[in-house]
Amino acid sequence: MTASVLILSGYGLNCEEETLYAFEYAGLKGRIRHINDLIENPKELDDVQVLAVPGGFSYGDDTGSGNAFAQKMKLALWEPVRRFVERDTLTIGICNGCQIVANLGLVPGINKKYGERLVAVTYNMTARYQCRWIDLSINDNSDSPWLQGGGTMHIPVAHGEGRFMMDETTLKSLKDSNQVAISYIKPDGSTAGGEFPYNPNGSTADIAGITDESGRVLALMPHPERGMFTWQRDDYHELKDQAAREGKELPEESDGMRLFRNAARYFAS
Amino acid sequence: MAYRIEVLGHQEDGRALRIQKALDAKGAEVCVRVVDVYTSEHPAANDKPFRSTLANPVVQSVNTLPDDFDWALEIGFLPGVTDNIGHTAEELLRLSSNDNSDNETACYSSRLYLIKGPVSREDVQALAYDLSNRLIQRATIKSRAEFKKDGGMEAVLPKVHLDNKGAVADEIELEISDQALEALGRQGIENEDGSRRGPLGLSLLYLQAIRDYFKKEGRNAKDIELETLAQTWSEHCKHTIFASPIDEVQDGLYRHYIKRATNEIREKRGDDDICVSVFSDNAGGIIFDENYLICDKVETHNSPSALDPFGGAITGIVGVNRDCMGFGLGAKPVINRYGFCFADPRSNPKYFRDPKGADPMLSPAHILNGVVAGVESGGNCSGIPTPQGFVYFDDRFAGKPLVFVGTIGLIPRTINGKPAHIKKARPGDKIVMAGGRVGRDGIHGATFSSVALDEGSPATAVQIGDPITQKKMSDALIKEIRDKGWYSAITDNGAGGLSSSVGEMAGQSGGFHVALESVPLKYPGMAPWETWISESQERMTLAVPPEHTDALIAFLARRGVEATVIGTYTDSGRAQVSWHGETIMDLSMDFLHDGIPETPLKTTFTRGGTTEPKLEEKSDYGPDLLAMMGRLNICSKEFIATQYDHEVQAGSVLKPLQGPGRVYAETSITKPVLSSPKGVILSQALFPRYSDIDSAAMAAAGLDLAVRNIIAAGGDIKHTALLDNFCWCSSDEPERLGQLKRAVTAIYDLAVKYETPFISGKDSMFNDFKGYDASGKAIKVSAPPTLLVSSIGVIDDVRKSVSLAPKAPGDLVYLLGTTKDELGGSEYYDHLKHLGSNVPETDGHQNLRLYKLLGRATRDRLIASALSVGLGGLGVALAKKAIAGQMGLDITLPDTGLSKAALLFSESTGRVVVTVAPQNRKAFERNFKGYEHCHMIGSVAFSENLTIRNFAKVKTSMLDSAYKLPLKGY
Repeated sequence: MTASVLILSGYGLNCEEETLYAFEYAGLKGRIRHINDLIENPKELDDVQVLAVPGGFSYGDDTGSGNAFAQKMKLALWEPVRRFVERDTLTIGICNGCQIVANLGLVPGINKKYGERLVAVTYNMTARYQCRWIDLSINDNSDSPWLQGGGTMHIPVAHGEGRFMMDETTLKSLKDSNQVAISYIKPDGSTAGGEFPYNPNGSTADIAGITDESGRVLALMPHPERGMFTWQRDDYHELKDQAAREGKELPEESDGMRLFRNAARYFAS
Repeated sequence: MAYRIEVLGHQEDGRALRIQKALDAKGAEVCVRVVDVYTSEHPAANDKPFRSTLANPVVQSVNTLPDDFDWALEIGFLPGVTDNIGHTAEELLRLSSNDNSDNETACYSSRLYLIKGPVSREDVQALAYDLSNRLIQRATIKSRAEFKKDGGMEAVLPKVHLDNKGAVADEIELEISDQALEALGRQGIENEDGSRRGPLGLSLLYLQAIRDYFKKEGRNAKDIELETLAQTWSEHCKHTIFASPIDEVQDGLYRHYIKRATNEIREKRGDDDICVSVFSDNAGGIIFDENYLICDKVETHNSPSALDPFGGAITGIVGVNRDCMGFGLGAKPVINRYGFCFADPRSNPKYFRDPKGADPMLSPAHILNGVVAGVESGGNCSGIPTPQGFVYFDDRFAGKPLVFVGTIGLIPRTINGKPAHIKKARPGDKIVMAGGRVGRDGIHGATFSSVALDEGSPATAVQIGDPITQKKMSDALIKEIRDKGWYSAITDNGAGGLSSSVGEMAGQSGGFHVALESVPLKYPGMAPWETWISESQERMTLAVPPEHTDALIAFLARRGVEATVIGTYTDSGRAQVSWHGETIMDLSMDFLHDGIPETPLKTTFTRGGTTEPKLEEKSDYGPDLLAMMGRLNICSKEFIATQYDHEVQAGSVLKPLQGPGRVYAETSITKPVLSSPKGVILSQALFPRYSDIDSAAMAAAGLDLAVRNIIAAGGDIKHTALLDNFCWCSSDEPERLGQLKRAVTAIYDLAVKYETPFISGKDSMFNDFKGYDASGKAIKVSAPPTLLVSSIGVIDDVRKSVSLAPKAPGDLVYLLGTTKDELGGSEYYDHLKHLGSNVPETDGHQNLRLYKLLGRATRDRLIASALSVGLGGLGVALAKKAIAGQMGLDITLPDTGLSKAALLFSESTGRVVVTVAPQNRKAFERNFKGYEHCHMIGSVAFSENLTIRNFAKVKTSMLDSAYKLPLKGY
């Protein structure tokens, strides 16, 4: 079966087109749906296997990034969304989508209790928007379908509010159940230890992304769709030059594509 | 009753930390808490469902302020100022209370800072000054004791109350003395109480023509008619200086030079012409590939940014986005760019608008921070990448900063089988206004009023963009509606508002009728002329065949966008506006558009900079080189590049920070179509200081560098086009007009030589500040005459793009082009406080030879890195390369008889430094066979030094810190 992905749009979300491109490149069928259209026809969620909340600036980040869009979803679309994530489906929230998914309480969903806000994704320590390439480590112990293959990723972040915050109990619970899926690291592979710019926002425990308990819902601040091809990389010209000297061809795909391929693989198996 | 909802942020809120840091830097150790405040009269505002939508319980709490603070500072908006956060809160209130009625659901946002620590009221006032702008915001300060006594801060509802009396059209008597006519033009229409409505900007000559017109019509003018003519005939809209006869040039500078250059190039190119739509639309359009066009427009927003840096800049960027949405049937904005000219942010000149020193200008740092933040907010919120830009510093920009903003759009070449760049409003089409509502924002542009803004005079001078309202409209129109074929034409509402957008589109149909009372307003009570010329943001005007209006309006409503039929395009030959059934404007279209009298201009020209300084030759230029790297015009602007999302839309190839050493680059490459190998290359260049010697050299140098950067990055000169933005000063003086004429002549010559057509342009002719110094003495600060040339090119395959960073030790370093004794107006001379005389002259013929050869070498993939030599000359270019690669260079400069200073720092145009892998050496040198200015000057070293033998030896790490430190804290 070719799985179908539904990508939300509207009210300032703005990464829907490239996110769709990524999923289609990985072999899924996809469509972009304005949130108002989905509210009018929530049954559409029954026909798809993947829900993607892409990056953007929903409601201009007013009242806290992702908050207003999440409130809208909660008030107008909560039951269909809850039913969707409880099925054997995949959900991803990227950047603004991550903030929305966290505000909706689709992550961390401890004890499968979706709908409770337990983590905040809030203002960077620098109080400055940060658009930069960073290094990430994927939690080898996570069994999230999104993260199969583990390892590290070099992809960009671009956000003003990417700092995960939560109380100690929640943090412990996330760590214990391997829900801390993706963390910021230094280029040499060592932990970022909160140090700017490796950890670009001061995120607790260097957290860049978390999953729900099942691992089927992934919320991450970095943008895999902006690092899916080698030509998108910040070191592309260095890699390209080196490959030319060695008479090699550069691979077309880069680290970010892995997530989308994993989604396709999950439903292919 | 007004309810206040106070949402307290957690202790380590990044926004609080930043303010703490700023206060700590002043020596006071403080603790700051940030409280987001929402105020509303709606009963549901007091209910838990609404309150819980505003606070994230993990890090925020509602109405539980801490007790341990010494000062409370609250900043909120003045009445009528766009309050985006308030609007979002209002939407949450409607959602959570299920109230979709017309009840008063308005919410107002403000921000409260609770400060604990040893700071005085004056310190808090200084902080308020840094954090707010009194033109648009109120700041309230309370000590803890006052706060306790009052029971907290007051609930303020900044509502607009307008007196409905003003909502009529007044008749204006024009049979008055010339003196009275002049006063009318200068100060505006007189109100009943003797006050004036703000400048019409119409000269006596123009007003006489208008008087004669109404005499012929046999009636008095209405205020709205005068205001409309003032808008339509303004320098801003008609570009009268570029259109007027000037000296012997009867057809004016624009037609004779700029447009003619493009026409000649297009003719010469024949089938290889890349232009599709030039000078006729909101942006200029060229071919991208067989399926798409790209369009480009660069605007300035200087005066508004001087008054309200944040509002001016955000309005500028979202405004130029609309130019792109208004290109053809509507192009999708795919890239933004920016350019700022500021005074030194570390300086604080005391300039005032009044002789008593009560009304100070904003400081350069305040302007810089606000402008940078405005473009950040506008660009990032709109989801448009901003990969390319620059910042240039000169203290003469203290009066007015220059704020350039540009947007590149993508549009299919054909839509529904018809060329997408062609549109026409037809008689019978309905006039539909879509997007935001109309308020008093931006009436008379940015006319500054020193009267404090109060309830009765809502921020008319300043507009603040609302990128999300615009984003909703843009997505709906461009991504969903455009291809349905529901509208015949579209344009944006910018300067002059409806008067301008409707007036322009009606030029195609031959007339219009607008029923002004149908225009949706932000608040009641506006006079008809105000509604008509208001520059309220986020609006597009469409021409919609009657059979599609309902569908279009209903579709937009489903996307949360308001749209309204406000009139009809006609072929009556008349520009007609009615107000509740009464005709209040009825002008002939011919007079409106072509009635403007010609004003012939005369010019003079005197070259500046008569002598060259005599410089002692130094044995070590290392210290000079380090000092140059730290100069504001050369040092890194990384703090801007990392704040501007250049990765959104996922097409970024060549980025604003290049190489492992992150050098701030002048050129970017972006793929607007992910599935195509083609990319859009952008660059920009300007050399304001050269105008102190010769504006022709200034203009040519800018054009040359803008083109050269495209070639260096791998572009093709045959697929490169240009945009011109003239920012002049005192353009009523013959000498300034002489500089203008020289500049225009120079770029005509060079553009024709390079065959790079101009496709769009804009001018801003009076960048002067007239005010007072601290002693009350009248002063005038004029920006140096500045031409910004922006270039746009298409690269066939981004795999052939070249970054500026050297790639490997052992590679060879070449200097391409000729270094001449041209330090006049250079960064080096300025560093030594000299102007000099030998300003760089551009040899278009020689440069073109090089660009063709370099282009071929790049296409053959022989170049490992390339960087144009610009400000600071060869020395700075070499240092940037070392920093970018985090490598050393070992350089030996050939002895050409020039002084050492000239060899190192001369800014001769037409030069590129490239590195070449040893295995490509033969092919590279063969490529340049017969070209005498290809010099091998050394190699990328296995060391950590930039060594320029007999000149300097400096550690790359030292160059790196000198380059990155100056603006790091911004």
